[in-house]
Amino acid sequence: MKTLLLEFYKIKRRNVWLTMFAMLSVQLLWGLWAFRDPKDWELQCGWMSLLYHLSLLDGIMVPTMMAVLASRLADIEHKGNTYKQLETLRSAGSLYHAKAICGCIIIMLLFAVQFVFFILLGYALGYEGNPDLKYYLLSYVLKIASNLSLFLLQLALSMFFANQMVPLVAGLGGSMAALLLMFVTTYSFLPWGGNLSAALVMSEWDETTRISTYFYRAFSSVETAAVVCIFVWIVVFYAAGRILFTRREA
Amino acid sequence: MHLSFMKTIRAEQLKLKRSPVWLAFFALPIISAFFGTFNYMANQGVLKSEWYSLWSQHTLFLCYLFMPALIGTYCSYLWRLEHLRNNWNSFLTAPVSRTSLYVGKLVWAAIMIAAGNIWIYLLYYLCGKLCGLPGTPPEESIGWIIGGILGGIVICCVQLTISMVIRSFAIPIGIGLAGGIGGLMITNKGLGTYYPYSLYCMGMHANNPQMELDIQAFLIGCLFHFLLFSVISVVCLRRHE
Repeated sequence: MKTLLLEFYKIKRRNVWLTMFAMLSVQLLWGLWAFRDPKDWELQCGWMSLLYHLSLLDGIMVPTMMAVLASRLADIEHKGNTYKQLETLRSAGSLYHAKAICGCIIIMLLFAVQFVFFILLGYALGYEGNPDLKYYLLSYVLKIASNLSLFLLQLALSMFFANQMVPLVAGLGGSMAALLLMFVTTYSFLPWGGNLSAALVMSEWDETTRISTYFYRAFSSVETAAVVCIFVWIVVFYAAGRILFTRREA
Repeated sequence: MHLSFMKTIRAEQLKLKRSPVWLAFFALPIISAFFGTFNYMANQGVLKSEWYSLWSQHTLFLCYLFMPALIGTYCSYLWRLEHLRNNWNSFLTAPVSRTSLYVGKLVWAAIMIAAGNIWIYLLYYLCGKLCGLPGTPPEESIGWIIGGILGGIVICCVQLTISMVIRSFAIPIGIGLAGGIGGLMITNKGLGTYYPYSLYCMGMHANNPQMELDIQAFLIGCLFHFLLFSVISVVCLRRHE
């Protein structure tokens, strides 16, 4: 607990929150721009379209956001060359664990703000009915899981490489892979495809009427396996990162 | 001025020696080209403009979303050494003008943009031939690359300024990504020439290769932002303690 509190103390005045919310605000601005002046058919399926578009937007932006977050949590140790000193006070494993929990809390808050904003936006635009609580909660949980797996991957890279260019380029490549995967498949076993696999709403575009139809996804067995894979990645990345970090020579 | 300018370019070259930073400019366009070609092949019923369609598939997302962040990575890397330990002191006490110090970094960023754009074009040509497209890419495609280089240099100026002011390696990259996404909205509103992150995509004709670009407005936009951010950088450098 003390180590975790110290992690929050370390990021004080390092603008980590500000950075994350600045990136989130780009999403919010995009939402204000993209969902303005909805037509009647858009008002009818508004809540589903919100979930659909959030998955797309997160798929593109979040891998880089997670790379930035992990890098900010890790580079303070690289810059201060603090590993040896910290290891004399607590185990390397608990330090890694504290950083992982700290990142997880930030992710949970970040996406809570995101959901609250978009739900408020939905009400402001006059979407019919209310958001389906079950799907929104499930979507939130899956979003946390898929982005936590990415964060843990990035944390492992950021803690391992002193040169932060490597993990950040990996994050950028991940964002690109996620975006391009969206064109070719509805699920992926790759860590960057987590947001895609966990999307609860799908869409079909009718070329003649120029209207999109949104529907809740019926997960096939392979798609369910892709969702389960997100949780496997969490375990794998956490374990691999912790092992690499504890065996690392400062 | 001339000599000190060359010295800073040489010094920056030494700092970049054996650094794998160029690999990112090599790898990301490959991913984009691979998926862009795949998408083009799968949607030939809709994408009927052959070389033009292939170009938009190759460059649309790369230019809007990833190049600004990638340029941000490179610019952060260029300032990385200065932000480490007490290197600012030795950097600022170098017997060259502050302007030269800045120009040295800008030249290398511009070289990387030019090399990256040529690589994107080569991939475009190769993929077009592999797809069985007839003839060669349209003549104006050379103009797209030149426009992209000019727009890219503007983003370099912005990102160099940000990376110089912000000590963190990661934050400028996030700003680059956010700036690129903002560019999508602003270009759509027709205000691209007023926003530096839009100039790269506009120059590359990423959104629509057949669009008529107002060359004069584009060049003025590039020049304005280039001068603005260069002046800000040099002023910040002169005031840096």
